[in-house]
Amino acid sequence: MTDLSLRQAGAEAPRTGPSLARMPRLWRNLRGSLLAPASIAMALVVWQIASSTVFDPFLVPPPTAVAKAAWPMIVSGEILHDVTISMTRVLVGFIAGSALAIVVGVLIGRIQILHDLFDPIIELLRYLSPTAMIPIAVIWFGIGEMSKYFLIFWGTFFIVLVNTVVGVWRTPAARQRAAECLGASRLEIFLLIVIPSATPFIVTGMRVAMASSFMSIIPAEILAADSGIGYLLQKSSMLLQTDKIFVALITISTLGFLTDRVFRIAVKRMLSRFMLADAGAH
Amino acid sequence: MLEVRDVRKTYGEAADGYVALDGISVDIRPGEFFCLLGPSGCGKSTLLNIIAGFEKVSSGAVSFDGEVVNRAGRDRMMFFQDAGSALLPWLTVEENIRFALRVRRVPKERWGEIVTNHLRMVDLDAHREKLPSQLSGGMRQRLQIARALAVEPRVLLMDEPFAALDAMTRRRMHAQLLEIWQRTGQTIVFVTHDIAEAIALADRIAIMSVGPRSTFLRVIDVDVPRPREMSGAFYAETFGEIEQLLTPEIRRSEARLG
Repeated sequence: MTDLSLRQAGAEAPRTGPSLARMPRLWRNLRGSLLAPASIAMALVVWQIASSTVFDPFLVPPPTAVAKAAWPMIVSGEILHDVTISMTRVLVGFIAGSALAIVVGVLIGRIQILHDLFDPIIELLRYLSPTAMIPIAVIWFGIGEMSKYFLIFWGTFFIVLVNTVVGVWRTPAARQRAAECLGASRLEIFLLIVIPSATPFIVTGMRVAMASSFMSIIPAEILAADSGIGYLLQKSSMLLQTDKIFVALITISTLGFLTDRVFRIAVKRMLSRFMLADAGAH
Repeated sequence: MLEVRDVRKTYGEAADGYVALDGISVDIRPGEFFCLLGPSGCGKSTLLNIIAGFEKVSSGAVSFDGEVVNRAGRDRMMFFQDAGSALLPWLTVEENIRFALRVRRVPKERWGEIVTNHLRMVDLDAHREKLPSQLSGGMRQRLQIARALAVEPRVLLMDEPFAALDAMTRRRMHAQLLEIWQRTGQTIVFVTHDIAEAIALADRIAIMSVGPRSTFLRVIDVDVPRPREMSGAFYAETFGEIEQLLTPEIRRSEARLG
């Protein structure tokens, strides 16, 4: 989280390690786009060899077997169906959790009495992971969609909340005082100074929460669902279909990765100016 | 006229609290360039924040044109050392000034002219579309000056505004600030710990003792026309006089720490 927030809040960190400048231009340009696929290809090769030599291919099915299992699931739309269901759950819970956390967070960050009242409760509740809340969620909401929305909401809410409060607090005093001297009203300071200044922190919190949502949806679906990727995982395990388990695992990681990329691109498109908020500060 | 009357500032409970300022009085004349000079921990920023209305006095009063100061007012504009945090980093140079005009409720039809005039005044006209992060430290401070002056405050309160700049840039900023001040006739209260800076700029220099119980040790008139020669007899003499006052203060504060 520290690493993430550093990368988010500040400008690009200077690169250390081997100097890029000394490398030939062609290599420098292609480096990024070649190395990432190469890294994955290398992992696949190692996996393939290890599965057919060291490990029992039933316990650790090689990539070729996983691909063979995945193909009919892709063609039939089975995967897409589960992906859609899981994604919907993540997005509904994530958006609801983030929205409420931002509203509550700016209020708590701004109004001391609210902070003093709610901070102890938040400090206790935020240690209850979504997984810990599954049993009670099933009793409260059943195994329908609502329990999953609730669990993702739960996981998202506290992460975004804590980051929002910090973001509001970190708004430089000089910025608020300067605005006050210029003649800004309290409402203007809140809307035009505090919220934009807190934006990098809020966005960082949302990114962390998004990653955690992808982790929480799986146990939620394993324990309390009859659809979704987690359920596919659980069902394959019961039937000892290790190849399908790997299909599900790869699907989850790919989904998480892609969603984070989309999120980053969206932030860059819409909020890049605000993400610079700390540049130039001491 | 800015009147500071017997200002005391105490932090914490009265009995065992820390007395930061202990009975400071001064009248700052309209259009005067007034410097508060002292080592770190002498309460000069505290006094400036009280004049700005950001902090309250424990006793005594500050008044501006007969009105008691108890909150930030539109006639007194604070100017910060860290321009990066005082400016709005998500707005361009031009938009930062428009922001000031917007919250000051200046009629929109006047914005274009005010923005252009003030950016020209600080040589930033060519950089309108840039973000503050794309400017150098000195340019950012010039933008802050332009923004402060765009709302035409009567008093400019400057808290070590150029302390973070390199020596060359600082000298240019001094020249520019004096030129603007002579043109606009604002009152300036300028906090610094740099003796040379105070001598180069001020009409009067108030030398403050180290806390606790900071007061004015002396207020020196600098009755020399500008631009001031920073090597002549007057400079050496004034510098010596101030240094003599401050050296025991710095020793005292070091002894307390040791």
